[in-house]
Amino acid sequence: MIKYLVRRLLGWVLMIVVATNITYFLAWLYLDPATNYFGRRPPLSQEQIDALLVPRNLSASVPLLERWWNWFSGIIFRWDWGLGPTGESVNEQVSYRIWVSAELVLGATIITTVLGIALGVYTASRQYKLADRIGQATSIITLNIPVVVAGFALVLLAIGFNNAVGVRVFYVTGASSPGVEGFFPVLVDVLQHLTLPTLALVITGYASIHFLQRSLLLDNIKADYVRTARAKGLTKQQAIRKHALRTSLIPVTTQVAFTIPLVFTGAVLTESIFNWNGMGKYFISTLSTNDIHGTVAVAAFGALMTAIGAILADVTVVILDPRVRVN
Amino acid sequence: MSLESIGVSPEVGAPPKNRKRTSMRALYTRRFMRNRGAVLGVIILAVLVLFAIVGPLVANHSHTDLDFLALRQGPSAEHWFGTNGSGNDNFAQVAVGLQRSIQIAVLVAVGTTVVSAIVGATAAYFRGTYERIMLTIIHFMMVIPAFLILAMISNDAGGNWLVISLVLIFVVGWYMPARIIWTLSLSIREREYIHAARYAGLSGMRIVIRHMLPNIGSLLVINFTLGVVSAVLTETALSFLGFGVKLPDVSLGALIGYGSSTLVSAPWLFFFPAAALTLLTVSMALIADGLRDALDPTSAAGGRA
Repeated sequence: MIKYLVRRLLGWVLMIVVATNITYFLAWLYLDPATNYFGRRPPLSQEQIDALLVPRNLSASVPLLERWWNWFSGIIFRWDWGLGPTGESVNEQVSYRIWVSAELVLGATIITTVLGIALGVYTASRQYKLADRIGQATSIITLNIPVVVAGFALVLLAIGFNNAVGVRVFYVTGASSPGVEGFFPVLVDVLQHLTLPTLALVITGYASIHFLQRSLLLDNIKADYVRTARAKGLTKQQAIRKHALRTSLIPVTTQVAFTIPLVFTGAVLTESIFNWNGMGKYFISTLSTNDIHGTVAVAAFGALMTAIGAILADVTVVILDPRVRVN
Repeated sequence: MSLESIGVSPEVGAPPKNRKRTSMRALYTRRFMRNRGAVLGVIILAVLVLFAIVGPLVANHSHTDLDFLALRQGPSAEHWFGTNGSGNDNFAQVAVGLQRSIQIAVLVAVGTTVVSAIVGATAAYFRGTYERIMLTIIHFMMVIPAFLILAMISNDAGGNWLVISLVLIFVVGWYMPARIIWTLSLSIREREYIHAARYAGLSGMRIVIRHMLPNIGSLLVINFTLGVVSAVLTETALSFLGFGVKLPDVSLGALIGYGSSTLVSAPWLFFFPAAALTLLTVSMALIADGLRDALDPTSAAGGRA
């Protein structure tokens, strides 16, 4: 098991390194930090631009391979991911934003998963009854509401609610208010900011897990071993809980594990709508400011998340499914 | 339901030659029509397509006209969906934006389906080195953040919708469906009719196109409809973030991005494109659901037919 995991881990590290380096060259193909200084009044000369960019390793006048080696050796020897075009450290930017994103994404992922599985189990054990039909219909609609539409609809509702109550219950922008101190005030403040973006992510995300869990559970309910269990006197609910649910959870956890990277970078829209300074927002700003080192760092982070998701999926399958033997 | 439609002759005891067998198409149609959501989806989609085609023709203004007498005004007899801050007619813009979004979606869905079907099926049929290379590429595509590359390239292309569509096909769209089709094709590869075709001396490409792909046709049809939904969503996201279709060209995403900045002061600029977009994605999803019921032989949701 350990040996198997180590081998998988090494494979993923290799993939991440190669993917990150490919992104580095792609970024130089499409982004040019020098364009940030075009159109300045008075116009900057090429020497002035170079004087700004060469120390940051962002000047196109240095040969590409030399730039690449400066960047790559910086990461390997000093874990330094480079500087942005205005001189800020990518390491600092990323390490701060990961926590902002995590705050949003972790809660949303947990709620989405629990809600999706619960609804899946509930509707599957009532197949084609009214509750199942209603659940299916709402899930098809919520799954296909664009995140942007759901997000701004929530903003409109929250503004209406705040006006009706006369107090600011929900904050529609930002991750926290400045100047809040103490444990409970901070907690309340965080919740006030967190509610709307979390709702937006949950509404548009729970349905895919609902559908998967429902169809898997239905397949398992019809399987022989569940029929045997019922023949031995278990009620339908008991048979589902003790036998069918466990096997049907395996593919669901796999899917959840694989959505971790998607949620992290997929929160791009949610973070833009609610103005959160997380990885998603950073991703947009690095692209629009030709911040090559920042862009590549985001890409590496996304690749790392994919790898973690895939490894988590492997591990959960081994834990949940007694039939899988690895050596 | 009449007796003829379930394949039973009305006159009991009539000679067997009068008995009509239900054709495949009639069978699929009937199973599709039984799903009320799917029928609703077709109706909504038809109305939207009609709006996208006829809308720009019947609007009082073209989508690039500026009406300086009506800046950021609510819906009225002159401007049915109101105007934006520069005096553009929102009705004409939504109609043109919807047209553009549908064009991108259909082009991307067709392209993605074709590319993923060919890659997936040939990888499963030819196996060996070719298959290993294809699977490695697919795994790489999963690790490289597609959305980032998409944003870089389409930003560089200056908002040209054709370039955006091509990137959506080749960078984002094809690899996940290709992997699914590959898994399915692996089992089809071992069927007798494929062996028969091989012993009859058909070339590999011919077997893939004439014998393998038609047998996963239902999956391809469903993939196509779901591809439309995801293409619409991705294009909207890009345009909303400012990396997609750019002015003077409009798409629903670009309009929503604009409308979101005036959410409170001019909600109509957000509401109409958002409604059009939601109706488009939901109707396509309902149709996909109905197609799955109709085409998937193991699905019992459509009842028996």
